[in-house]
Amino acid sequence: MKVKVDKTLVASVVLHVLVLGWTMVSFSTRALEMTPEDSVPVDVVSPDQLAHIMAGMKTGKKENPKPLVDKIAEAKPVDDAVGKVSEKAPIVTDTSPPPQPKVEEKPVEKKPDPPKVVEKPKEEPKPIEKKPDPPKVDPIADAIKKEEKKPPPKPVQQAAKPPEPAKPKTERAFDQSKIAALLDKRDPTRQAATGDTLNSNAALGLSKGAAADNSATWGAMFKQQVERCWKKPYGGIEAQRSEAAFAIRLKRDGSLEGMPVPEGTPATPYLRVYQESALRAIIECQPYRLPAAFFEEWKYFAPVFTEQKT
Amino acid sequence: MTDKDGLPNMPFRLSRRQIISGMAALGAVAGGRNALAQKRIPIPEGEFVPLPIAIPNFVAGTPGDAEVGVGVAQVITNNLKRSGLFAPIDQAAFIERITNIDSAPQFQSWKTISAQALVTGRMTRQGDGRLKAEFRLWDVNTGQQLTGQQYFTSPEYWRRIAHIISDQIYERLTGEKGYFDSRVVFVDETGPKERRVKRLALMDQDGANVRYLTKGSDLVLTPRFSPSTQEITYMEFGQGDPRVYLFNIETGQREIVGNFPGMSFSPRFSPDGQRVIMSLQQGGNSNLFVMDLRSKSTTRLTDTPAIDTSPSYAPDGTRICFESDRGGKPQIYVMAATGGQAQRISFGDGTYSTPVWSPRGDYIAFTKQGGGQFAIGIMKPDGKDERILTSGYHNEGPTFAPNGRVVMFFRDPGGNGGPSLFTVDVSGRNEQRVPTPGFASDPAWSPLLS
Repeated sequence: MKVKVDKTLVASVVLHVLVLGWTMVSFSTRALEMTPEDSVPVDVVSPDQLAHIMAGMKTGKKENPKPLVDKIAEAKPVDDAVGKVSEKAPIVTDTSPPPQPKVEEKPVEKKPDPPKVVEKPKEEPKPIEKKPDPPKVDPIADAIKKEEKKPPPKPVQQAAKPPEPAKPKTERAFDQSKIAALLDKRDPTRQAATGDTLNSNAALGLSKGAAADNSATWGAMFKQQVERCWKKPYGGIEAQRSEAAFAIRLKRDGSLEGMPVPEGTPATPYLRVYQESALRAIIECQPYRLPAAFFEEWKYFAPVFTEQKT
Repeated sequence: MTDKDGLPNMPFRLSRRQIISGMAALGAVAGGRNALAQKRIPIPEGEFVPLPIAIPNFVAGTPGDAEVGVGVAQVITNNLKRSGLFAPIDQAAFIERITNIDSAPQFQSWKTISAQALVTGRMTRQGDGRLKAEFRLWDVNTGQQLTGQQYFTSPEYWRRIAHIISDQIYERLTGEKGYFDSRVVFVDETGPKERRVKRLALMDQDGANVRYLTKGSDLVLTPRFSPSTQEITYMEFGQGDPRVYLFNIETGQREIVGNFPGMSFSPRFSPDGQRVIMSLQQGGNSNLFVMDLRSKSTTRLTDTPAIDTSPSYAPDGTRICFESDRGGKPQIYVMAATGGQAQRISFGDGTYSTPVWSPRGDYIAFTKQGGGQFAIGIMKPDGKDERILTSGYHNEGPTFAPNGRVVMFFRDPGGNGGPSLFTVDVSGRNEQRVPTPGFASDPAWSPLLS
């Protein structure tokens, strides 16, 4: 008995040791294998600055006027089928009043309010024509509109507008080909809306967003470099506000294209000295190492040397 | 390409410092072409750094002028270095040797040694025996000549020429008036501590050209310059009561200011040099009086049962600051130069004495005693922004440089040593010992000589 117990005990212990030992070794070595990551320079951006970056420029250029969706569903020959449906619709309208959620997909163009809708049916052809602009296209709604194209002349259908979505439902049973047509239509639209066709520069240069403003990045780099050369004149202990701004043009290699152009004429001897010291710094510290990707931004800008004592 | 729209300035922060700078985006659109948006990048608050400046020896116009050329460059170098605002570059590092100051130097070789400014000059002995000094100040990075002058003088005044050139350079590169062409009068002290001989002495602000004005038989204290820099007023213990004297530097003549019963002390000139303000002892008290040097008429300014002393005029002559213990402890007060209500401006711990108004008018320097230490400090004429420049066992007697940027005072380390003179920037930086032949105390800085 004892021997047997010993055996199992020993086996158990050995197994435990093996398993634990293996896990320790294997897992610990795993944990040590860390791929070194490149450090990423981070600028601390204040809320103000963020707000500014997001503020955008009305004058920005429209670099990419692509719509959000590349592909817009084309009208399909389904029309015929729909047309058939519409003819049957009047019969159904009386019985199916519940407004369907799908109608809400187009709230921008269509008011879901039933009373207004009553007036709208005649206008609906217009939204349909404008459709190519707004990327959102609901195949079903589209189909429904197409259906309506023919009905409008009939005054009877004005009241029938809200229940439209209900029509297809009721007809599914009757007309399979029409349902197939509706389903077909969904594919192209959905793919376009969710795929890589989204314009990555959606906000660029549009009224909502800023033209790519990376000045926090390259501006900080420029500042860091020019400050090495700036021998700021001694302005005394009095609080004073000094500012010297220049317009400078840089070449791709970061060197000055020409002499920096000072903004304004200094009013006092100290301001003159201050401006000169800044000018010396700009000249002495070239060429500047700035990210080439933002060359378009830093090829022409205005460094503003400021001194504000509190 | 036309500027179509200028957006108004918008706040823009670039760093955690509380620097907000204007941000103006100028959008320029031309036919859908490149838009030139000029981004404004704030460069806030660079640290103050002494300006690297190269001062090669002045070129000798004639072979005999080499020595003075070296001397002038050395004096300028020393002046600028002591100011703390410049970092003169060691001549050993120079690459280009200046041989002709009429052609532009090779700026690249000065850029290489990181000089931002370059001074070139020439000393030439003229046919009439006078010395011609020329200099040019160059901006190395832009290649511009910032200033250039020439002077004629007697050869023995070459140091003054060097000081004047120093002032020119200082003014052009800092935007402030210089202070190198000035003198300091002080009390020279020699001999053992118990039998110290005190003489009135005069020197250039850099410690050169020391001249003794009195023989040392009598004790002298608190010498002060007149605005003309030709006269000195001081207090002397002769036989009897201490008196305020007037001393003419050129002629050596001296006279007693007024003839008052009792002690008169701590005199100082008015900014126009027409009057002397001082303390007169009356019993256990002392009050302030002003005497017109022409008419000899005397006006009493204070009448308090206290010790009012150490008066000093504001540079515009409308107000005076002085020390008074009318509140119990010595403190600094300001009042109109014609007398009237005095306003206490010092409220810190300890006692305040020896106030002196800056020639710029922006500060009043003082000696502050407290906690077993004597400190030199400055405060605004309204008592605000008090700032201690230096403190220690014994610091006393501040006096401003002509441009109000530097304060000179004397420091006594105690023990068997004696006092010596120091300068410190009004920011509290750049403390420098002023070389004197022996011990020295009670300095007074002259206005600019020219």
